[in-house]
Amino acid sequence: MTAVMTDRAATDAPSPAKGRRQSDKRRALALLSPGILRMLLFMVLPMCIVVHVSFWAQITFAAKPDLTTTSWERFLSTPTYLAAIWATLRVWVIVLVATLLVGYPVALFIGLFVRNKTPQTKLLVACVIPFWTSFLIRVIAWRPMLGTEGAINVILMKLWIIDQPLTFLLFSEFSVLAGMTRIYCVFMVEPFTFMLGRIDPSVIESARDLGASFWTIFRKILLPLSLPGVIVGAIFVSVMVLGEFATAASLSGRKVNLLGNIIVSQVGSLKWAFAAVAGVVLTVINSAVIALALLVVDLRNEM
Amino acid sequence: MLPLSRVTRRYGDTLALEGLSLTVPDDTYVSLLGASGSGKTTLLRLIAGFEAPDQGAIAMNGQVIDAMPPHLRDIGFVFQNFALFPHLNVADNVGFGLRHRAVSPVANAAEVNDRVRAALALVGLDGFGHRAASAISGGQRQRVALARTVVTEPRSVLLDEPLGALDANLRARMCDELRAIRERLKISFLYVTGSETEALTMGDLVAVLSDGKIVQSGPPDVLFNRPRNADAARHLNAWNIFDTRALDTTVPAPQMAVRFEQIGIATPGRAPRGHLSLPARYLAGEFNGPTALHFFRAADDSLVQVVEHLSQPRLPAMTEGDNYHLHFAPDLAREFPGAP
Repeated sequence: MTAVMTDRAATDAPSPAKGRRQSDKRRALALLSPGILRMLLFMVLPMCIVVHVSFWAQITFAAKPDLTTTSWERFLSTPTYLAAIWATLRVWVIVLVATLLVGYPVALFIGLFVRNKTPQTKLLVACVIPFWTSFLIRVIAWRPMLGTEGAINVILMKLWIIDQPLTFLLFSEFSVLAGMTRIYCVFMVEPFTFMLGRIDPSVIESARDLGASFWTIFRKILLPLSLPGVIVGAIFVSVMVLGEFATAASLSGRKVNLLGNIIVSQVGSLKWAFAAVAGVVLTVINSAVIALALLVVDLRNEM
Repeated sequence: MLPLSRVTRRYGDTLALEGLSLTVPDDTYVSLLGASGSGKTTLLRLIAGFEAPDQGAIAMNGQVIDAMPPHLRDIGFVFQNFALFPHLNVADNVGFGLRHRAVSPVANAAEVNDRVRAALALVGLDGFGHRAASAISGGQRQRVALARTVVTEPRSVLLDEPLGALDANLRARMCDELRAIRERLKISFLYVTGSETEALTMGDLVAVLSDGKIVQSGPPDVLFNRPRNADAARHLNAWNIFDTRALDTTVPAPQMAVRFEQIGIATPGRAPRGHLSLPARYLAGEFNGPTALHFFRAADDSLVQVVEHLSQPRLPAMTEGDNYHLHFAPDLAREFPGAP
């Protein structure tokens, strides 16, 4: 008797699960809309404008909205600008590898050997303490280190290791690379430490128990399990290094021209269309790099 | 043979193991019974080499192994949480030790595959090799963890409460399977558990660990029927321990223990002549299926448990809150000398 009545009630009423799904969907949309709106207004729209402006006609100190490919043709046929693309890519690759080499041991130490949460957090905070000073100060601080009468040269000469100051240290590609590595290293360390810290210590112990040496455990367990952290760190570093101009401007002595420097100088001389071309090229490179990184690791599965 | 002699391990001011001595014989299933915090896991970690003892020595086949790193010890460890490699599939998890061990790794891929397949068959997981380690059930993970350890043919296997994460049915079945697997492999298992049923069912030898010391070890029936001290008796969850002074007897031992099912209940003053008795208030009864468990509070505030097998009822009808006399024949009691 009761069963019959329940059956009828169940077929007549709308499905609660369906109602819940619909309200969940509505809520998700409501929560997402401010973010989507912001992205549309302040990212997608400006990017479209930049692409559009890159096809404008450039006259001496202004750009006119007559569509032409002149700026693109000039950009892609001028060796200086092609060299800038090449320099940007070269600096990016070297800095990426350098931050990885410097950052991995630090992350390995903090994430794996410091198992206690409190010192771990303290060490991570210590890594970002340099960020308390201004970016420009951190970059310019390399000058008294690397200059011909800078700390490194003075020490090396006092130790009789060299008798002439090393001139390649400052105002060269080397100083740009050193400065960038130092500044962006921490963005590699943090996501990496996070992934290493998430590895269950008993997983490492069981690998040891099964007879694997530390080096084998590193290659077969730690490296694959921390790869998502490497990729996230690499994306952080790549995006920032590819758009860099300040480090190159203040440490290269105008010897290194990155895409970022070109945009700055073109905007400075009101060459809007030309700056837009460089901007579009930079955005394409950036997107390609991120797409490549995401191909390597499916972050949605790993995080 | 795996003898441990006077092993001590401290964490700061806490003494986890205190002069512990124990020998794990060859080809034996040793159960180590202890409450949580008794030092069970510490003991296994010392044997596996993840930690070193502060004092004492651990030897294997006549050689002291204290200074030997874990990956050279040839001792298998099955973790409580299984600790499978999350990024590898089942077959690669099981084959890890064979492929990547520092001492005589197996380079021949076909041989690795054969041995992995045999190990998976041993634990009843034929055909599971391609599954992701994260996509199998708790019981299957436990088997993978076991297969991963035994495939390397270690000299002994340490199991740290490996059934703790499984449901009761599966636990009972795995108990039998672990025994069968060990008998086929002819190696020693040192199995740590907090459950007296598991310890007694599985062990050829049961050792009771309490406060960082082995308080008794022996065959399960001997241990269960003749615990040597109150500590051992308490872990078996079958013995009431009485302060002798409460019992009106001339026995010199300070403590006596009587099994739950060997205590009789009588209305006050009706305890059989010659039996020792003590007054207690009936608190509550618990129906467990084949048995009933009754709880009493004695005058000295200690809790007394009485078991009745419902197929052979022997206890009178009782009312909660009333006083009764609990009694037992003196020859059924174990007497424990020394400090309580």
